[in-house]
Amino acid sequence: MRYNPVTPQIVEQLMSIVGEANVVLEPEKMEVYGRDETSEAMWQHMPEVVVKPENARQISEIIKLANREIIPVTPRGAGTGLAAGAVPMLGGILLSLERMNKILEVDRENLFMVTEPGVTTGEVQRTARAEGFLYAGDPCSAESSFIGGNVATNAGGNKAVKYGVTGRHIYGLEVVLPNGEIVTLGGKCVKDVTGYDLVHLIVGSEGTLGVVTKVYLKLMPLLPFVADLLVPFDSVEKAIKIVPTIMTHGGIIPTCLEFMDSMSIKAAELYLNQKLPYSDAAAYVIVEIDGNTERQVEEDYETIGKLCLENGGLEVFVADNPSAQDRIWKARKCYAEALRMISPVYCMEDIVVPVSQIPRALEAINGIAEKHRVKIPCVAHAGDGNIHATLLREDRDEHTWHEVKDRVLDEIYREVYALGGALSGEHGIGAKRKGAMARFLHPAQIDMIKSIKKALDPNLILNPDKLVDVL
Amino acid sequence: MRIVVLVKQVPGTDNVKMDPETGTMIRTARGNVINPLDENALEEAMRLKQAMEGVTVTAVSMGPPMAIKAVKEAIAMGADGGVLLSDRALAGSDTIATARALASAIKQLGDVDLILCGERATDGETGQTGPMVASMLDVPVQTYVQKLTVEDGSMIVERIVEGGFEKVKVKLPALVTVVKGINQPGFPTLAGKLRAKEVPVPVWGPAELGVAPEEVGLKGSPTRVVKIFSPKLSRETIMHQYKPGGRAVEELIQFLAGREII
Amino acid sequence: MNIHDYRGVMVLGEQRNGTVHRVTFELLNRGRTLADKLGVELSCAILGDRVDDLGEVIRRGADRVYHVSSPDLAQFLPWPYTRALVQLIEEVRPEVVIAAATTTGRTVMPLAAARLKTGLTADCTILDIDPAEKILLQTRPAIGGNVMATIKTPFTRPQMATVRPRSTRPAARDESRTGIIEVRNYSNLASLGEIFLEYMADPTQEVNIQDADIIVSGGKGLKNREGFKLVLELARVLGAGVGASRDVVELGWIGYPHQIGLSGKTVSPKLYIAVGISGKVQHLAGMQTSEIIVAINKDPDAQIFQVADFGIVGDAFEVVPELINQLKKIKAEA
Repeated sequence: MRYNPVTPQIVEQLMSIVGEANVVLEPEKMEVYGRDETSEAMWQHMPEVVVKPENARQISEIIKLANREIIPVTPRGAGTGLAAGAVPMLGGILLSLERMNKILEVDRENLFMVTEPGVTTGEVQRTARAEGFLYAGDPCSAESSFIGGNVATNAGGNKAVKYGVTGRHIYGLEVVLPNGEIVTLGGKCVKDVTGYDLVHLIVGSEGTLGVVTKVYLKLMPLLPFVADLLVPFDSVEKAIKIVPTIMTHGGIIPTCLEFMDSMSIKAAELYLNQKLPYSDAAAYVIVEIDGNTERQVEEDYETIGKLCLENGGLEVFVADNPSAQDRIWKARKCYAEALRMISPVYCMEDIVVPVSQIPRALEAINGIAEKHRVKIPCVAHAGDGNIHATLLREDRDEHTWHEVKDRVLDEIYREVYALGGALSGEHGIGAKRKGAMARFLHPAQIDMIKSIKKALDPNLILNPDKLVDVL
Repeated sequence: MRIVVLVKQVPGTDNVKMDPETGTMIRTARGNVINPLDENALEEAMRLKQAMEGVTVTAVSMGPPMAIKAVKEAIAMGADGGVLLSDRALAGSDTIATARALASAIKQLGDVDLILCGERATDGETGQTGPMVASMLDVPVQTYVQKLTVEDGSMIVERIVEGGFEKVKVKLPALVTVVKGINQPGFPTLAGKLRAKEVPVPVWGPAELGVAPEEVGLKGSPTRVVKIFSPKLSRETIMHQYKPGGRAVEELIQFLAGREII
Repeated sequence: MNIHDYRGVMVLGEQRNGTVHRVTFELLNRGRTLADKLGVELSCAILGDRVDDLGEVIRRGADRVYHVSSPDLAQFLPWPYTRALVQLIEEVRPEVVIAAATTTGRTVMPLAAARLKTGLTADCTILDIDPAEKILLQTRPAIGGNVMATIKTPFTRPQMATVRPRSTRPAARDESRTGIIEVRNYSNLASLGEIFLEYMADPTQEVNIQDADIIVSGGKGLKNREGFKLVLELARVLGAGVGASRDVVELGWIGYPHQIGLSGKTVSPKLYIAVGISGKVQHLAGMQTSEIIVAINKDPDAQIFQVADFGIVGDAFEVVPELINQLKKIKAEA
């Protein structure tokens, strides 16, 4: 596909659509739009122009213009992605949704929130909480990521084990299609099988099939009582084995079930500049439970705590008030920043395997790390089998790093697929994993994706060069 | 050595809501926490308990019956026991009356070597109760303490003051109010939680404290709240609605230039 | 106690290394107003060993200075200071005693109030005299800083209060003022086993926003840490200090030394720009005495506009970049 450059005439037309003030051309201002949280230089690319629309109508006009002129359009939320999904790898127009940052409605009767895409996930959570509701989507980047980006990547996060990933809370979307048409898919109905489930075709499509301009989020009653357990273990195996045990023997589905390995604990300790309890343990397991009564939560944490102690837990720390809970979560949530202190450049993966296979996956990663002498600290959303394995570059030169990284990733992905897993649990494919996806998915599945893309976006203008190579 | 830690139950940060009709505060048991600085005080007591032989730690709190949770939490975090001061006669206490009840409790416990508490509580933010307790017990006091070592019946503290630190040596018994930087509070353990369920927490009123009911509560309080109001702070405000391409920002710059700010 | 035996307003001045500290003059400003409303004398207690230039205390508004002098008061120790203050109060019997909410004032005043069995109100933002009852009305933010409470001390004397440093301007110097300087030498102030060992200065401890002429301050309306950078940039362009609301500090977007409000610092700059701050009383308590207040907020009903001289209703993400641009242009032209 050959795309046309953004000419001064096109810039003029963009300005007439969104206003002069909302078109950015200065390279120093565009620089931040040319990368996401992927730390490697190869996943950066400057846009030719940045536009900041404020409504669906403007987006529609921009997309129609891009279709006429055959110019790539890359939609972008907060830029907190980890797969270069919002990076304009082919230049063109960068469509930033940052000005569409209003929460439009909290519908207390139907338990829905309707928002624009540029609202931070943290604000969605806080607004829901203030009204006595829970918005259960909770990626680690919630403080900075946009809800629109969460929809585009079908973000997972900490509470997926009980409440599922972002898509499970999405019942409707207003979308600007690649031909510029504005359409509302779904809405506030909890049941709706009228036609294909197009809402969930858009969810996780990484901005390749449409631009989300309005999101209908399902809220839940806030369960008022929450407790967190922090359990250090002297072996990774024991730590992971407790995960299914909690659900099978304990009969409890925790809201969060997190795992940290020894290297991640040490990194958190270094980053937070504070001593963590049992920080020389082989692993931490963090369990969060919620409930409607204090007694129920108490019974649950006693059950889980005893199971942990009977199965190799070194100690069980209980936090049932917000300040102690914050202290526990700080250690887990600082993972990305903490690793950056050890190695400014790294490659964070988000492989996923069936829960029972986590020990084997971790063992395999460990073996691969030793074989190639790469440090790979791991944390996991253990309750849903989603492992963040992060390859640290440390002081390797560019060439060696890429060589080692490619080999290590390939070996890890092979193991993951052998264990019945997949290469991305929540970050998505973007530009970064396109090659890997093509190697590991069944060709028929790749063909389905291509067909859908071509049918909806024949000129391939919307977030091109992502997920699959269509041509 | 016997340490008493004064703990106050306070609402968690996003758990205070105003009743828009009456202007009064709505508090619920949900999300109440131990005042964060009191957690630091408790942690410091635990640190001393681990470092020295024969240290016992008692948590003392005053508040409504639900404040028993704060005492239980302190026991779960490692305190040996605790007392809750709760009685109708104690309601409405200001800082003086609160300090009187707390000081009486400490006298009842007897032979206390060190009293620790947070420098202030996040709800009232007065920071007065600690020093007042020391005054009533006639013991030395050090406030804003960020470091503490105990040796041979004395302690050396480092306190934060404007622009620096002061190092002071103090003979025990004494009272210390601590700041956040003194330590990192730990977590209660499951064993601690289970123990806290078993350990009885006596609830004391004026009789147990050995004070006359009129010395505490509202009657024993020298101060009275006469009015609660939402402040009228108004200045004459020049208001502008911002529109892209509009004049609001320019007007602001003119305004500041007129006042010779820029 | 016969409350009618107590007369006059006393402020507890502060000295550092023998020099009268600025906060004393702020207290004198407050004290003067109260004494005039009551039609009584304003005295200032200065506790210390040797103190220079007590005449300045008179020129700044005191009718009388009580310098309680003792080697035991050379360095601050809670009990010697408290004993000295309690003895002086018992001798002078002022009806009102005001101190600064410094680490010294907040330690000595509660110790003294408990000794004197009288009331004390911390961190008052407004002090006034009830015209009918002629008693002190002590107003402070209450309940997490959402409302104000007015408190009085009806049955006991003195009526005691602390006020935050920098919440008033220092009283102006009046060269023509005269007054009496009394030195009182007290013995037996020695401490209850407290020994002052040393003072260590720490320049890094304070982020010095309290001396800034301009402060740009941000609140939760900036949405996230990234958004808060707008405040940093505006501050850089203006050469201003950076402030923040408590929410923002609790969310970890900036450190505690930048927190302005009841539980943070009190500031009184020439210009205070509040961006995305709703204006809870908790915050207003720390900045409402600023000379000019500018507020930028999306919500036209935000309380911050009530204290502002100039308000812009709009999205910070639109208003602030434009403001930064225009300021840069002006700078470039100059």
